[in-house]
Amino acid sequence: MRVVIGEDLFLLREGLVRLLSAHGFEVVAAVGAAPELLAALVDEHPDVGIVDVRLPPTHTDDGLRAALQARQQIPGLPVLVLSQYVERLYARELLADQAGGVGYLLKDRVFNDDQFTGAIRTVATGGTVLDPEVIGKLLERHSRTEPLTRLTAREREVLALMAEGRSNAAIAQRLFITEKAISKHAAGIFDKLGLALSDDDNRRVLAVLAYLDS
Amino acid sequence: MVFAVVLLLTIGCIAFVLVREAQGVPRPGGLRGRIRDRGWALLLLPVAMAAAVMAGGAHGLVPAELGIAVLAVVFVPKLAAKLVPYGVLALAVFGGMLARMYHDGFTNQVQYLFIHAGPDAWDSGAAPVLAEAGVLFVVGLWLLVRLDVPGAGPVRTLAARWLDRGRGGISAVHGLLLIPVVGLAMQLLGPGNWFGWQAVDGLDAALLDLTLATAALVLIFRSRAWAATLAAAGLLVLGGYGWLIAVFWPALPGFAYGVTDLHNDPGSAHLWGAALQGSVLLAAGLWLAPRVTRQHLAGPADLELAARARQLTQRVQTLTQTRHDAVDTASAELRRIERDLHDGAQARLVALGMSLRAAERLFATNPEAALALVSEARQTSSRALSDLRDLVRGIYPPVLADRGLADAIRALVLDTPLHTELDVDLPGDVQTPVGAAVYFAVAEALANAVAHSGARTVRIQLSHAAGLLRAQITDDGSGGADPAHGTGLAGVERRLATFDGILAVNSPPGGPTIVVIEVPCALSSAKTSSC
Repeated sequence: MRVVIGEDLFLLREGLVRLLSAHGFEVVAAVGAAPELLAALVDEHPDVGIVDVRLPPTHTDDGLRAALQARQQIPGLPVLVLSQYVERLYARELLADQAGGVGYLLKDRVFNDDQFTGAIRTVATGGTVLDPEVIGKLLERHSRTEPLTRLTAREREVLALMAEGRSNAAIAQRLFITEKAISKHAAGIFDKLGLALSDDDNRRVLAVLAYLDS
Repeated sequence: MVFAVVLLLTIGCIAFVLVREAQGVPRPGGLRGRIRDRGWALLLLPVAMAAAVMAGGAHGLVPAELGIAVLAVVFVPKLAAKLVPYGVLALAVFGGMLARMYHDGFTNQVQYLFIHAGPDAWDSGAAPVLAEAGVLFVVGLWLLVRLDVPGAGPVRTLAARWLDRGRGGISAVHGLLLIPVVGLAMQLLGPGNWFGWQAVDGLDAALLDLTLATAALVLIFRSRAWAATLAAAGLLVLGGYGWLIAVFWPALPGFAYGVTDLHNDPGSAHLWGAALQGSVLLAAGLWLAPRVTRQHLAGPADLELAARARQLTQRVQTLTQTRHDAVDTASAELRRIERDLHDGAQARLVALGMSLRAAERLFATNPEAALALVSEARQTSSRALSDLRDLVRGIYPPVLADRGLADAIRALVLDTPLHTELDVDLPGDVQTPVGAAVYFAVAEALANAVAHSGARTVRIQLSHAAGLLRAQITDDGSGGADPAHGTGLAGVERRLATFDGILAVNSPPGGPTIVVIEVPCALSSAKTSSC
């Protein structure tokens, strides 16, 4: 799997290269600034781009903007965004094109290499992975008016795990129920959120998006 | 007849110009600008007329001079206006010379402006001419400065220096100087004293004395500024009169002047006495006049100055207070950050190091235990990062740094568990420190709405108009919020005050609660991306 890395801190960049190489990823470019990142993403067209939000030249959200720009030029280009902090505002912007293939994780998630590489693979195959911290903030909210209130407690739990990028099998394992039951919950969620039958991945993205907009 | 024409022309010209000027500064070259130039220039007509009449109107000089003056006013108004002060001053000098000539036995009759002067008596000769020349001299100097013609500079400097001595205002002592002035006036108004002119005597004189004394005392106690003004004028006039006596004796009839009685002994000792008295009075008048003049001239400007001084004093007090608060807030903030780091990330990093050191030792002997320790170290590092993240958010929210105020508040709204409407109208971005203060103010208001109001929806309006950044947070909760209760909003208020910002809370029982934050600040036109 071909990977482009955009990270300005040398130690972290080298660490990521080493980690990914060790797990059998092919790092085709590792750059330290937003303009180079955009060029690499567009030219190399990797299976997934791993992008730090804060990059030179302005050291604000240049990395995020480069990723969004690359996805404008190549719709659905899988991008996993890493940051020292997660913001729902940025998650929404990443998911806004509804093309899937988006991840948004705290940098610390790299520590757990199995989970991290799992997330990279999910994103590369068009899935959506959001950091549990984003999800956690959502669970703190007790919305009163949105369609999500129609979901049962169990369905909300499933939706939260779905947003974290977990497969039905993983969710089943986590909640100690069968995969079939998860499918049923998922169908219930899609139904209540008014998501028509289409390919399952896209509906998962839309469901997560609805969740984020709550 | 001639006097009336000259008088009317002069008064008309000055009134015309002053009224025109009071209507505002006219555009140069515009109609009003041209009219103003002509107005000053018109003064040349009475001056020319007076000069011509004085030189002997019978010789047909009047029409010729007036004709030249009219031509000058019409075709070269600026030059004509500039000639006016010099003309007036020349008339004054001529008046002085005329008075001297009368004194030395000049016998012709001369029309000196308003006075038909002759040699036959003192009161129609030197003294009135000299008085009029003095008035003209003062008017000439005023015009010199007013029209800013060459020569105005030194006069203005001298006047400013003279006025400068009058700093310090009018005190009760200045007003009391009216007493000797009135006393001397009473004496001079008595029989045969004022140039030999008898105003009153007997019972009338006593009644006049009584009236004058009462009026002076009332004036001194009611308005010492006007008492001092009158005193200054009186001192100058009476002092000048003393010198007139000394210089022009024996052409004058005998009379008393203060301690000098020239009725009985017109000897040189009494002449010197009159001169000395006159000098003392003149000196006192010259000392008092600038103080009085200053008081009257600088009336409105003084008020303005005093108001400005009050404003500045208030501003300094505000700045001292807010600076004090800002320093306090900053140092409290630093203490909090230090404590958070010390108890949080720092402590966790120490634990991390200890775990790794222990793992190092155990690798050879007990690899499994070492592995467990390394795993623990990883979790500790995660928690340290989490601590640092929370800390950073409290110091400076990342989205504020990345995107500016509008997006930072958008992110805030997304994290708020209430239905929140956001209405942003910011054409540019806000400077970093102001943006942070407003961000934390909105965050605090929003947190209060969530925690205390029981509101269902919150509405945030963010706008910028007329140099004022305004944020309004309205919730439909139960109201009754008291900003004095609890330290949250008070802290926010202090932080905003550093930028001259204010926070107002309107929260009647039953709601709604409206929090308004206003900070004067300019917006940068483009989005500032770095900070």
